[in-house]
Amino acid sequence: MSRLLFNAVLAAALAFGAQAALAQAKKAKKPAAAAAQPKEIVGNADDAHRDKIAMCIGCHGIPGYRTAFPDVYHVPMIAGQQPGYITAALKAYREGQRPHPSMRGIAASLSDQDIADLAAYYGSEHAAAAPAEAK
Amino acid sequence: MRNFAFAVAALALSFSAHAGNANDGKDLVKAKGCIACHGEMGEKPLAADQPILAGQYNDYLVRALSDYKSGRRKNPIMTGMAGQLSKQEIEDLAAWFSSQRKTTLHNQR
Repeated sequence: MSRLLFNAVLAAALAFGAQAALAQAKKAKKPAAAAAQPKEIVGNADDAHRDKIAMCIGCHGIPGYRTAFPDVYHVPMIAGQQPGYITAALKAYREGQRPHPSMRGIAASLSDQDIADLAAYYGSEHAAAAPAEAK
Repeated sequence: MRNFAFAVAALALSFSAHAGNANDGKDLVKAKGCIACHGEMGEKPLAADQPILAGQYNDYLVRALSDYKSGRRKNPIMTGMAGQLSKQEIEDLAAWFSSQRKTTLHNQR
């Protein structure tokens, strides 16, 4: 009797285990399939504000700040710029199409998601909250 | 001290020699074709990945155009556009775009 019960419990456990394993495998399969197709990256301004702008504001957050190296000129204003241009600029630095050494170093550390977040933060939607001011 | 005075004078001269003329820049925006993508005042880019120029710093705009012209900065469209500009024309265009007050560009606080 107890042996019968044991067998029944064992069978149930095995069946359950197999089902769980199958479900797990199915679940694991889904993201793999999704990763095969390029997913559109959506920028999140709040993520940028919380974690990612620290290395931007040292130069871009100071009104009238000038570069020190290798040439001296005003660091461009990026707040209120088109998000698509900020994305293009950071990728151009990352891929070496733009020369500034510090920006190359910074852009090299950014993922596509980081770039999308920063573009959303500095882009026009965010800037709309802050009034444009005469310099 | 004399060397210093000379350096200051040379620096002042080098600035004044390349001062841009915004009125000339206004004509160049049309003549050189900038207007097609950036808008007359640089406030209305045609495509999402093109920058707003209106109100941007003068010396940064000079730097950007000079880098395109010299090939230090690479872009299929801008290399050709900036390549046709003289140093004076670059200064004039930068003076025009940077003098625009209607812009969304601002200093982030």
